[in-house]
Amino acid sequence: MLIGAIVAGVVFGLYFTLVGLGLNLVFGVMRIVNLAHGDFVMLGGYAAWWLLSAFGIHPLVAAVIVLVVFVALGMPLYYLIVPQLQRARDSEMLSLILFFGLSQMIEAVATIFLGTTERSLPGRVLGIGPIIVLGARLPKPWVFSAAVSAVAVAAVYVYLYRTRLGTLTRAVMVSRDEALATGIDVHRVSAIAFGISLALAGIAGVFAPFMLGSITPDIGVGLNITAFAVIVVGTLGNPLGTVVGGIVYGVSLMLMQTYFSSWANLLPNLLLIAVLLVRPEGLFGRQVRRA
Amino acid sequence: MRLRRGVLAALALLATTMGGLAARAAPAPAEIKIGTLYASSGPFASISMPVFDGIKLWVQQVNARGGVYVKPFHKKIPIKLVAYDDQSSTATAATLYNQLITQDHVNLLLSDSGSVLTSVAVPIAKEHKMFLFDVSGTGGTFFTKDNPYIGLMAIPVSTIWPKAISDFLDDVGVKHGIKTVAILYATNDFTGTQASALKGFLEKDGKVKIVYDQGVPTSTSNYTVLINNIAATKPDAVAELGFPGNDIAFLRNLQDSGEKFRFVFTIYGGAEMDEVLKNAGAAAMKDTFSYVPSALYQYKVNFGPTLPQYHAAWEKAYPKGAGVEWGSNAVYGYMTGLVIQRALATTSGMSQLDLHHAVFALSGKLKTLDGPFELNGEGAQVGELTPIGQLQPNAKGGLDLVSVYPPQFAHGKAVFGK
Amino acid sequence: MRKRTLLPDLALPALVLIAFAIGPYVYSNELMLFNFVMFLALAQGLNIVYGFTGYLPFGYVGFYGAGAYGFALAVMHLHAPPLVALAAGGAAALVLAVVLLPLLRLSGAYFAIASLAAAQAVYEVVSNPALENVTKGPYGVSLSAVFAPRFSYDVGLGVLAFAFLLVVWLRNSRFGLALQAIRDDPVSAGMAGVSVVRGRTIAWLLSALVAGLVGATFAWHISVFYPDTAFDLGVSIFATVFVLFGGATTLTGPLLGVLILYGVYNAIGITVPQYFQFIYGALIVGLVLFLPNGLVSLLTTRGIRVP
Repeated sequence: MLIGAIVAGVVFGLYFTLVGLGLNLVFGVMRIVNLAHGDFVMLGGYAAWWLLSAFGIHPLVAAVIVLVVFVALGMPLYYLIVPQLQRARDSEMLSLILFFGLSQMIEAVATIFLGTTERSLPGRVLGIGPIIVLGARLPKPWVFSAAVSAVAVAAVYVYLYRTRLGTLTRAVMVSRDEALATGIDVHRVSAIAFGISLALAGIAGVFAPFMLGSITPDIGVGLNITAFAVIVVGTLGNPLGTVVGGIVYGVSLMLMQTYFSSWANLLPNLLLIAVLLVRPEGLFGRQVRRA
Repeated sequence: MRLRRGVLAALALLATTMGGLAARAAPAPAEIKIGTLYASSGPFASISMPVFDGIKLWVQQVNARGGVYVKPFHKKIPIKLVAYDDQSSTATAATLYNQLITQDHVNLLLSDSGSVLTSVAVPIAKEHKMFLFDVSGTGGTFFTKDNPYIGLMAIPVSTIWPKAISDFLDDVGVKHGIKTVAILYATNDFTGTQASALKGFLEKDGKVKIVYDQGVPTSTSNYTVLINNIAATKPDAVAELGFPGNDIAFLRNLQDSGEKFRFVFTIYGGAEMDEVLKNAGAAAMKDTFSYVPSALYQYKVNFGPTLPQYHAAWEKAYPKGAGVEWGSNAVYGYMTGLVIQRALATTSGMSQLDLHHAVFALSGKLKTLDGPFELNGEGAQVGELTPIGQLQPNAKGGLDLVSVYPPQFAHGKAVFGK
Repeated sequence: MRKRTLLPDLALPALVLIAFAIGPYVYSNELMLFNFVMFLALAQGLNIVYGFTGYLPFGYVGFYGAGAYGFALAVMHLHAPPLVALAAGGAAALVLAVVLLPLLRLSGAYFAIASLAAAQAVYEVVSNPALENVTKGPYGVSLSAVFAPRFSYDVGLGVLAFAFLLVVWLRNSRFGLALQAIRDDPVSAGMAGVSVVRGRTIAWLLSALVAGLVGATFAWHISVFYPDTAFDLGVSIFATVFVLFGGATTLTGPLLGVLILYGVYNAIGITVPQYFQFIYGALIVGLVLFLPNGLVSLLTTRGIRVP
């Protein structure tokens, strides 16, 4: 039981790495908290559902479509909101409130147009039956989703460390003001990062029906807290630290389910509070305390 | 002195007038006002809207025939339905229940679907001494000896639902070698109450042993590890009691895990068969057991239409794709209308306590498309028991929910896995 | 100077209280009035911590829920009379606030999310079936023995008066001014000898106390409820939107927020299917971008003092 829970936790956690990855990227580059991140995950899920049920498009292809569409949506959304927001006195705090409002809007629109019934993708699309790892039986779609997460993490690594755009992005992450001073087009770099972040959320959404059983318009708020817990446990502002956060979350969730199942939902909340209070800087993150 | 005499005279006059009014039969009102709430959005929309549409359909049918017959006035009176949208919020619902009673002065009060939205109506109805037609709020705390102002209409109180599961396992299961059971439930009022009731029944009989018993949060969406853990206790039977989202995730994960149990039970595999089928797929549901809801079982009726007749009327009123789907909740709303119709036709007066007596007098006598109507002394529904069914493959390659227990309701035989 | 500002600061709440005291005699849907009183008090409670320290707890509903359950537990297990149970509700919220004091070390955004997580955590504990013998777990509580809608309405008015007085005091005392100085610039305020930690702690506790008392009154007034009702995130959302909309730090702002927004919500919400979640969401976005200090800032930026 113990090994089974740990193996399943690692796989499940890899998926939650993907859920948190984009949130962390935006935080790192813009120092704002996108509290509507989970709602973009939800939208990605509905997009995949719609593409499959209306056109028979395979989720993997859907993920590529979602990637393109969400990047295209994200960039104008950035220009619409973020520059204005960053002029404010305490933009980090205000961003939280603003994106919370956006999250409410998205959920409301989704409810109006899609209703509240569960939607899902048939599991056979990604294969049925268990894959046995170290004696633990894992659903094929889980392994599939975890593999996609790994690819996404690798792609983000390549983008940040192997491209010129990535170098500029990291420069903005280190210091927005210095980046501005050296003539970097901060807004362009940020807008692209924002688009990529939404795309990562959307791709996570494509696999959400497999990982969560089904999706409804109100899953966003819960995913937000979980995603935030994952990136805080990893390291705030360091996208690759998210992997650590995801796996810690996944494994501890599965252990909770095994040994204290009715308390399992306490976990992301307690993890979040504990890490913020005890080790707020993550592994090599920035200061989040004051006074 | 003169003034006082004047006052006395006026009082005397007033007394005679009022006495005279009371002596004459009160004039029949132009309409009977029925107040209710519905949730067009939020978590309870999916159970609330079909109930509301069922009520509306009943009102339409009654009014098309000139109204509902009200015995104290010896005539038919049209119904006016006063309905507000609570959007699944209990705070809003509480305000609106009050609105119905204090502003609209409705004659009859119906609660919204489900325990959560009904809960706030219970004390309000009691305070204003309004009899609450509780459509499907099954919370155990609602029904007390000191409150005559509530009656549960369309589904049994949640503590007696699982009696059918335990009886089935004890009577039939044991013969087929079922000795152990695992119970996994979502920790909310509805399914949590059922789980503890099931445990109580099984322990009392002592024929089937509980080897695993865990509650998980209702928001749980992955059951892989839980299924692994259940499998480690090697149960013959597994009862997973959750909401539709839980059942869908459980059935999918169970199929993916490749684990097999001889008996698998979910609540919504039957109760919301179409929705679970759409999301979990037929293969994941094949041969699992569930309750047979009233939308899928034809009871003998002694009042109102039969299930096929009502289904046809529903399809005509709400063509497919018009929004709200046919299902058991559609039956619940309509059935509540039937109870009101019978109660008004037999009541001795229009006071709320008269209505209470009229509704309770129907107990044990009324048989609708929802099953036999029976209330206990506290107003909890104890008739309308749900049979156990199994999702068996049919000739067309799909699944049918075949009623297998209790014997008098059975249409087929249960098949246990190996 | 202070006297001249104190008078309107006292007059406005007095007017509101009188109106709501007369209310039930004029309008018989008492519960609707009660909800107004409740949100008026919650908005002022949130105003205490957000308006004067700049800290916005998303999980404000946690204190409200703690108050409701503190009340319920005192009634169920100690058979306490309602007014004693009310004190227990306030105490429960205070205890929770003390436990969560370390959160104040976090900066704003982390504080907001951590408080939300804390409210969720309390909900998970209260609603856990393992604690059924204590809290009735997910099955909800029924307090019909102490049900007294009229008396609890009046007590609700008392709680509202208390919340008003706290804000009046903060607006007209040295302590309140010091708090605002901390909010605007903690470093210089600290150097000027203002105790940052003590100031924030007091505002935080008072704010929690108000929410706890409101929650307890709610539990008493409604008497049958589920943990989902007592910890409904919607309560936090409403209170936040009301304060942001009207404008924090003032008495008028949250008051306007409740009267206008909750009034419209009830007026429209009763007759047509509405898209309030969307409208509230859009309001939040619009306000943060274009009017971060709320409606009253239209006046205050022109140098007009608003109570």
